[in-house]
Amino acid sequence: MDYNVLAELLAATVRVAAPLIFVALGAVLSESAGTFAVGVEGMMLMGAFSGAVLTFVTKSWAFGLLGSAMSGAALALIVAIATARFRTDHMVTGLSVNILALGLTSYLLRGLFGGKTPVINLPTLDAIQIPWLCNLPLIGRALFEQSLLTYAAFFLVIPMHLFLKKTQTGLMLRAVGENPAAAFSAGTDPIRVRAVAIIVCGAFAGLGGAVLSLQELGTFTDGMTNGRGFIALAAVIIGRWQPLFVMLGCLLFGAASALAFNLQGWSLPISSYVIQMTPYLLALAVLCGIGRRARMPAAIGRSFTRN
Amino acid sequence: MNHISESPKSCRNRASFAGLAIRLSMSLAIAWLPAKTLAADKAAVLLPGSINDQSWNAQGYAGLLKLKEMGWDTAYSENVQPADMAEALRDYAKRGYTLIIGHTGRFLSPMELVGPKFPNTTFIVGSGNAGSGKNVASIDFDNTQFGYLIGVMAAKMNKTGKIGSVNGLEGLPNVVAQVGAYRKGAKSVNPNIEIKVIYVQDMEDATAAKEAALSLIAWGADYLSGKLNAGQLGIIQAAKEKGVHANGRSLEDTAIAPEAVLTNIVEKWGEMYGAAANEAKAGTLGGKFELYGLNSKGCTGAELQYDKEKELNPSVPAEVVDALQQVKKQFASGELKVSVTKEDARGGI
Repeated sequence: MDYNVLAELLAATVRVAAPLIFVALGAVLSESAGTFAVGVEGMMLMGAFSGAVLTFVTKSWAFGLLGSAMSGAALALIVAIATARFRTDHMVTGLSVNILALGLTSYLLRGLFGGKTPVINLPTLDAIQIPWLCNLPLIGRALFEQSLLTYAAFFLVIPMHLFLKKTQTGLMLRAVGENPAAAFSAGTDPIRVRAVAIIVCGAFAGLGGAVLSLQELGTFTDGMTNGRGFIALAAVIIGRWQPLFVMLGCLLFGAASALAFNLQGWSLPISSYVIQMTPYLLALAVLCGIGRRARMPAAIGRSFTRN
Repeated sequence: MNHISESPKSCRNRASFAGLAIRLSMSLAIAWLPAKTLAADKAAVLLPGSINDQSWNAQGYAGLLKLKEMGWDTAYSENVQPADMAEALRDYAKRGYTLIIGHTGRFLSPMELVGPKFPNTTFIVGSGNAGSGKNVASIDFDNTQFGYLIGVMAAKMNKTGKIGSVNGLEGLPNVVAQVGAYRKGAKSVNPNIEIKVIYVQDMEDATAAKEAALSLIAWGADYLSGKLNAGQLGIIQAAKEKGVHANGRSLEDTAIAPEAVLTNIVEKWGEMYGAAANEAKAGTLGGKFELYGLNSKGCTGAELQYDKEKELNPSVPAEVVDALQQVKKQFASGELKVSVTKEDARGGI
């Protein structure tokens, strides 16, 4: 493997990980507060859609990104009301929302732009080179020549870590995920905390979708998240709900998927179908190894009632 | 012994019963339908998605419009799911439609199942890969010819000695045809050229296709081809960002990257269905697998188009244009015939 290919492999790892990190950080919030974040796939898709549509209509990235976060949050609001208020099953609610998002985005795309071509065609966000550092050998391109949202994803990891570990609110949020009854008797409203955590999770997942539609492709295509939300959930489990480790989990999947494309070029006597399975096999293997040791937030998946 | 002699007989019985039922229902239809609908033959198009997807299903709908223009009495169904295909086919056939088009290769097995029961109806699988019986035909454009042309162009434009191709599912017959011929076409110009093919296992995931394309560009490829649906956009975006050449599948791809895109393989499903309908009417289509290419009569199946007027990007040098025209002539006259094996379309170099 020559130098250029290796440098690109590292850059691809970081690039592929970025949308996963947004989604995974959101999921950490939701799950730490006690709600399984199964709906992130749909929230991500909503974000991808709204980001592309709003940027196209308003000609402004800022509005597009805002729209991504808001639409992800709006979808999350449905989950919040259903799970926190009406105590529905987290898995079923999340999966319903995923299906809803898939249908809704495809429908709206045709409803809004049907028959007109070209549909949405936006310039993608350019890579920003950090002076000096981007010329570092090998890692320069991977770490210091990425687009805006990729930097943003990695920078968010630290505040998220500090929030969960070092602030009163973060502690309260984790307490609700561990023992909502105790948190309640200490004067916290677990239902409200969970609802807010889910909604913020939706906003993060929406931004993850915006990475795909605004930064990578400059358009929206049906079902474009294609399971990336679920991969992010696997990264959350691998990272044991700790933002720093979750980031490493996302990088692991980024590396696996970048490597899968490169492996095909080595003309190995293995079917491309098998090679393409590697990120998922890896997820299974890591989950088998780490999964048992991983301790979930104790009250995750259990609804809270006041009496 | 008993079993052996019995089963064909019961088959025959069932077949004649079905034939009787059809004749009966046809005569009923003739008796009951107003004379106006009898004037034209009836054709139906069944689509796997919705007609305004601006891509595959819109192409199928174009076929319907073509048939209408040719005087057929037409009907269509959208979003026909695999589990409902056989029933939808039966329904149209029972209602006296003499031409039923299924606009995806997935219609092949339901048509093989339903076809024998409705001998007076011709069934056509769009993008299928085999005919069956006397009345189930498959049609497609000649992927081999167009893949070969793109390969010739890629190798002529190439400066780095390396070109690439990003594709969806490995092993699909029309993918094998196009990718294998791309490799052969490029090698025919420069036997030492390296061609790397990546399969991303998904025709729609443009983000994955873009990553695959970027990895090919980092390896040194300066031309990217591919046969994807929504995923094609990923190839085009990667080529645009890194300043290399690529080909798309529709004129919209040119609009996205007017410099990177050299041409598009634009499939002409409307014309193919029109040509196939004529053959069906004349009774010459039968159970054939018909490929429309540069050597076919009436319809070439697909065309190289850069925009509405031009075949190739104006930046393509005259020498390359001439070479391509030469190859096209050889295909049209039948002088050049390319056959492709799975090995030619292998992933990797």
